Amino acid sequence: MPLAYPSQRVAYPYFVVALLLFVLQVIVGIWLALSYALTIPQWLVDLLPFSTTRAVHTNLLVLWLLLGFMGSTYFMAPEETEREIYSPTLAYIQLLLLVGTGVTALAGFVFGWTKGKPLLEIPFPLDYLVVVGALIFLFNVGMTILRARQWTVIQGSLFGGLVFLAVMYLFNLPFYANLSIDWYYWWWVIHLWVEGAWELVAAALTAWILIKITNVPRATVEKWLYVELGLFLFTGIAGTGHHYYWLGAPSYWLWVGGIFSALEPVPILLMLADAWHYLRNRRSEIKGRLVFTYAVGMAILHFVGAGVWGFAHTLPQINYYTHGSQITVAHGHLAFFGAYVLLNLTFFYYAMPKLKGLTLFNERRGNIAFWWLSITMSVMTLAFSVAGVLQTHIERIMGLGYMTAQAQMRLSFAILAVLGVVFLGGVLLTVVDLMTLRPGPSAKEAA
Amino acid sequence: MSTKTARWIFYIGTLISLALFLVLTVDTHRQIQTLTHADRLSEQVVAGKRVWQKYNCNDCHTILGFGSYYAPDMTKVYWRRGSEGIKAVIRSPETFTTWRKMPRLPLTDKELENLVAFLQWTSEIDNQGWPPQDQKLRAGAGQAVALGVSPGAALYQAKGCFACHRLYEAGGGAGPDLTHVGSRLSYETIERILTDPRSGNPEATMPTPPLSHEERYQVGHFLAGLK
Ligand code: HEC
Ligand code: HEC
Ligand code: HEM
Ligand code: HEM
Ligand SMILES: [Fe+2]
Repeated sequence: MPLAYPSQRVAYPYFVVALLLFVLQVIVGIWLALSYALTIPQWLVDLLPFSTTRAVHTNLLVLWLLLGFMGSTYFMAPEETEREIYSPTLAYIQLLLLVGTGVTALAGFVFGWTKGKPLLEIPFPLDYLVVVGALIFLFNVGMTILRARQWTVIQGSLFGGLVFLAVMYLFNLPFYANLSIDWYYWWWVIHLWVEGAWELVAAALTAWILIKITNVPRATVEKWLYVELGLFLFTGIAGTGHHYYWLGAPSYWLWVGGIFSALEPVPILLMLADAWHYLRNRRSEIKGRLVFTYAVGMAILHFVGAGVWGFAHTLPQINYYTHGSQITVAHGHLAFFGAYVLLNLTFFYYAMPKLKGLTLFNERRGNIAFWWLSITMSVMTLAFSVAGVLQTHIERIMGLGYMTAQAQMRLSFAILAVLGVVFLGGVLLTVVDLMTLRPGPSAKEAA
Repeated sequence: MSTKTARWIFYIGTLISLALFLVLTVDTHRQIQTLTHADRLSEQVVAGKRVWQKYNCNDCHTILGFGSYYAPDMTKVYWRRGSEGIKAVIRSPETFTTWRKMPRLPLTDKELENLVAFLQWTSEIDNQGWPPQDQKLRAGAGQAVALGVSPGAALYQAKGCFACHRLYEAGGGAGPDLTHVGSRLSYETIERILTDPRSGNPEATMPTPPLSHEERYQVGHFLAGLK
C-alpha cells in the first residue's frame, strides 16, 4: 500500500535516528547502574564521572523521544489535514540542525561543557539552537495546518501541545541567581512538559491512531479528547505544586500541590478506559494485531507508571520521606517508558509498514520484543523501588546517613545492571525488527 | 455528554487551574524573598552558584532534593560538615569518600570560597524542615551543645565529624558512635587519635581532622566528657 501523501516520507529518517539514539541511551543506563553497584576506580571517576554519563543518558532520552514525536507529527499531519507538508526540505534541515546540536551537546558534556542543571544540561548557545529547531518545526507544521483550513480537535491538541512544549523550554534559558527560584522554574519545564504539554501530544497521537484502526466515530473520540485534555490541564497545571513542598516556597503549596496532583491519575485512567472500549471496535479490514497490543500496553503502563507510581509519593506526608530518592527514579523510569517510549513505538509500528509500502507484515519478532521490553521494565521498576524503600527507611526515617543506606542498596543495583542488559536485548530486537519489516501475515494468522 | 459540554469542561478546567497557578506564582515570588533570606544573596553566593553549575555537582548530588541521587544531598551539608569540612572533601575527595568515589575537581581557592558561601546560604533556606535526616542531626547537635560544653561541640559540628560519627542518634555510620566515647577513651587517647588517626592503629581509615592545636584541645575535652 503506497503512502497517501508522498511528503509523509520525511518521518522515516526521524524514526531511524530516534531508534539509534534509544539504543545508545540504554547502553549508558547500564553503565549508570554499574556505577551504583561497583566501586569505580578513582582515575576513571576523574576521567568520566557519573555526572557526565547521567547527563548523556537523560539527554539522549529526551532527544530521541522528541525526534520521535516530530517524525510522528510529520507522518500524521498530511493525512489529518489532507495536504502535503508545507516544506519537506525544511523538515530535513530541522532534523540535521537538531541532531547536530544534540550530538555536539553530548560530546561537550564529556569535556565538561554543561549548563550544570539536571536534565537541562545543554549549554549556551546550543540551547538557542534547540529553540531555532523548534521554531522551524512549529512553522512547518503550522503552515501545513493553516493552508489546509480544516480545523479538527486532534490538530488543535497536537499543535497546542507542541507550542506549549516549546514555550516552556524558554524558562530554562535565563540564569537564576536564587536557587529556589531556579528550581521553581525548572519544574515549569520538566513537570509542565511530562504532565502537561507531552500529555496533549500523546493524547492527540493516540486519538488519531484509534480513529485509524477502529470503527469508533471521530466525533466520539474528539469529544472524549476534550474531556481528557481539560482534566490533564486542570490537574496538571496547579499539580506542579507537588514539586514545591521543600524548596523554600510558601506552605500553601503542600495543599495545592497535594490535592491537584492527587487527581492527576484521573485523566490517565480515562485514557485507559477509552483505549479499552475503542479497541473492542477494531476495524475488520485491519488484520495485524501488534499495533493494538502496543496501544493497550501503553495505556496500561502509562497508568501504572505515571498514575500509580506517581500517586504513591505525591502526598506531602509521604514525599517528605521519599523526595529525591530511588523511589523517584522508579517512577521516572516506568512513567517515561509507559507513556512516551511506548507511544513512540506504537506510532512507529503503525507508520513504518506504510513507509515501507507493506500492508501486512510478520509480527512475530515485534510481539516478542513488546513483551520482552514491557516485562523487563516492570521488573526494573520493582528493583528501583526496593532500593528506594531501603533508602527511605535507613537514610530518612532511621537517620543513619546517606552512604550507610547506599551500602544496603548495592544488591538492587547489581540486579538492575543485569536487567539493563536484558532490556538492551529487547531494544535491539525492536530496532532490528522495525528496520527490516518483512511482508506477509505470520503463519498463525494465515492459518 | 455533548461535545459542547466537553468543550466547556476543557476551557473552564484549564482556566481555573491556570489562574490559580499564576496568582500563587506571583505570591510565591513575594514570600520567597523572606523564606530564602534573599537579602543575604550576596555576589559571592551567586558566584558560588555558578561554580556549583560549572562543575555539574548536581548530576551526582541532589540539592533541595533535586538532581541526581548518586551522592549525598547538599541542602544542609553545611550543618554536617561546616565550611572547613566541605573544603577538605573537595580538595581531596579520595581521603573522604568510601567505596563510591567523587572526582577530583580543579576548583581554584576563590571558587571554593564562593561555593562554601553558596552552600551556607542554601542551608539557611526555610524549606519546611526537609530533609528529615539532617533535621534529626540538628536536633542531636542541639542536644550536644545544650550539654554546656561548647565550643568543642560547635567545632564537632563545624569540622564535619557528624558525617561519620553518630552522636545522640544523629550522624553517619562510617565511624564508631561517639555518644559515650568518654567512658571508653581518655582525653589523652582522643587527643592522640585526633592528631594522627593512625598513631595507635596503623589500619585506621579516618582522615586526619582539619583541627588546630587549640581546636584539638577543645574537641578532645568535649568528647572525653561524654560518659
Ligand atoms: C561523580 C559524582 C560526583 C560529583 C560530580 C561530585 N561529587 Fe561530591 N560526592 C560524591 C560522592 C559519591 C560522595 C560520597 C562518597 C562517600 O561518602 O563515600 C560525595 C561527597 C561529597 C561531600 C561530602 C558529603 C557529606 O555528606 O558530608 C561534599 C561536601 C561534596 N561531595 C561536594 C561536592 C561538590 C561541591 C561538587 C561539585 C563541585 C561535587 N561534590 C561533585 C560524588 C560526586
Ligand atoms: C571520613 C569519616 C570520618 C570523619 C570525617 C571523622 N572520623 Fe573519626 N573515625 C572514623 C573511623 C572510620 C574511625 C574508626 C577508626 C578508624 O578506622 O580510623 C574513627 C575513630 C574516631 C575516634 C575513636 C573512637 C573509638 O571509639 O575508638 C574518635 C575519638 C574520632 N574518630 C573522632 C573524630 C572527630 C572529633 C572528628 C571530627 C573532627 C572525626 N572523628 C571525623 C571516621 C571518621
Ligand atoms: C507520563 C507522565 C509522567 C512522567 C514521564 C513523570 C516523570 C517524572 C520524573 C522523571 C521525575 C523526577 C524528576 C527529577 O527530580 O529528576 C518525576 C517526579 C515526580 N513525579 Fe512524575 N511523571 C509523570 C507523571 C506523574 C504523575 C501523574 C504524578 C502524580 C500523581 C507524578 C508524581 C511525581 C512526584 C510526586 C515527583 C517528585 C518526586 C520527588 O519528590 O523526588 N508524576 N516524575
Ligand atoms: C526506556 C528505558 C529508560 C528510560 C525511559 C530511562 C529514563 C531515565 C530517567 C528519566 C532518568 C532520570 C532519573 C530521575 O530523575 O528520576 C534516568 C536515570 C537513570 N537510569 Fe534510566 N532510563 C531507561 C533505561 C535504563 C536502563 C536500561 C538502566 C539500567 C539499569 C537505567 C538506569 C538508570 C540509572 C542508574 C539512572 C540514574 C539515577 C540517578 O540519578 O541516580 N536506565 N533514566
Ligand atoms: Fe510532576
